[in-house]
Amino acid sequence: MIVIENAGLRRFIKTAFPFIIIPVFTIIGSTVFDSSKHIIISLGVAAMTLLVFISGYEKKKTGTRRLVIASVMIALCVFGRFIPIFKPVTAVTIIAGIYLGGETGFLVGAMSAVISNIFAGQGPWTAFQMLAWGLIGFIAGIASSPLRKNRALLLAYGAVSGIAYSFIMDIWTTLWYSGEFVTEVYLSALVTAIPYTVSYAVSNLVFLLFLARPFGEKLERMHIKYGV
Amino acid sequence: MRGFKELNPAVIMLYYLCVIGIAMFCTDPVITGFSLAGAVTMFLTIDRKRKIGIHVSFFLLFAVLALINPVFYHNGVTVLFVVNDNPITLEATLYGITASAMMISVLYRFRTFTMIMTADKLMYVFGKLSPKISLILSMALRYIPLMRSQTSKVRNTQKALGIYREDNIADTIKGEARIFSIMTTWSLENGIITADSMEARGYGLHKRTNFSVFRFTLPDRIMLLVFLALAGITAWAVASGEAGFTFYPALSGVTLTPLSITGYTAYGILSFLPPIIELKEAVRWKYLISRI
Repeated sequence: MIVIENAGLRRFIKTAFPFIIIPVFTIIGSTVFDSSKHIIISLGVAAMTLLVFISGYEKKKTGTRRLVIASVMIALCVFGRFIPIFKPVTAVTIIAGIYLGGETGFLVGAMSAVISNIFAGQGPWTAFQMLAWGLIGFIAGIASSPLRKNRALLLAYGAVSGIAYSFIMDIWTTLWYSGEFVTEVYLSALVTAIPYTVSYAVSNLVFLLFLARPFGEKLERMHIKYGV
Repeated sequence: MRGFKELNPAVIMLYYLCVIGIAMFCTDPVITGFSLAGAVTMFLTIDRKRKIGIHVSFFLLFAVLALINPVFYHNGVTVLFVVNDNPITLEATLYGITASAMMISVLYRFRTFTMIMTADKLMYVFGKLSPKISLILSMALRYIPLMRSQTSKVRNTQKALGIYREDNIADTIKGEARIFSIMTTWSLENGIITADSMEARGYGLHKRTNFSVFRFTLPDRIMLLVFLALAGITAWAVASGEAGFTFYPALSGVTLTPLSITGYTAYGILSFLPPIIELKEAVRWKYLISRI
């Protein structure tokens, strides 16, 4: 990554990208291009968001232990992907977000998308998968304390994020197919994806139901013993 | 000159970015045709397994995707026939065929991308972008086989202790859950040990250097320029509006001007370049063998 020496410039870029450049890019893109080019805008925004996050993480002082624990969580996500039908990726991402913070949650979600696609096959969907899973982990990190206290809320979040993941990926499928957002195509994509959506939601529920408490205890113990 | 696979990973990445980017953003029958033909040829030259299954499944996917558009989308002026008060138009049918051909071509491209860009090459490209992320990726990749071997050790131990039973589903699930719990604790503890060991060896004191076997040689530079030039010409032809195609409300037809023909030719060459390079290398190899 290009290291920018000037602290002021760095701060400017840090605020300019998420609050000015990306919205301006979206607005200009949607007015200048005709609607068939909306896919360019969506892909550009996804790529820029990931870049902003990665460069922010690069600059941040993270302890070595935190770094290694993040990669262990990613490996656990990918390792669990070999279980047929039920995928624990989202559940582990949510747990990582709750107990290790939003940034680590984003990282775990985004990077497990990359690594599991090394085995399952990369595609133009990788960027969107990274963003979707990353956001699920990030939001779990923001809502950490209520999710930690309230078990029902945690399960609800798991089910909703499973459905939301499917909905986000179908937006991308529609954009890719039609270039613009066509409601009919989106609805047909949603209908064909129902079995997957249900399996995502159910597997999130099941895994969070069984994993959240023991996994949380283990991570809590790491926190007490090693200060991660 | 080396084969396409042996080029610098960054150059390969750029090639894929150009060729897939243009294919995805221009829904143009000519460009899509070139893209699909090039992608399939490339897959056939690289693929060593020669299984027919993937082609069949891609063709079925193509057929389903091509049908979606005319069935659900009814814009266009030329009505072919009417089903249940829903007009099936020529424009929507042709758009469906072009869009699904584009998607299949991108899927073929990504198949070859996964074959060519192995984990070490991806790490090289990521390492240039962000050393920290690349370190996390490489550690996670290393943990996966480690976890697999440790899991089998734990499972064997559990069996030897007589705890793990496979009599019924409930027992199996219980046993697997216990193994997963053991694995989690083990890998977290192991991670802490790794981190302490890294720190003891001075991680984080200096700027991290990374080693890679990939060099940026003269052929890489030449191919980089060729890829950029061909993609640039195509992009220019598309951006000027001369190489373009509109489906709705009525088909526009392919406009043939000097610029658009140049753009289409450039994309055709770009699309077929890797199989050509591979074929040239194969011919040279055969020739060199025959000389011995």
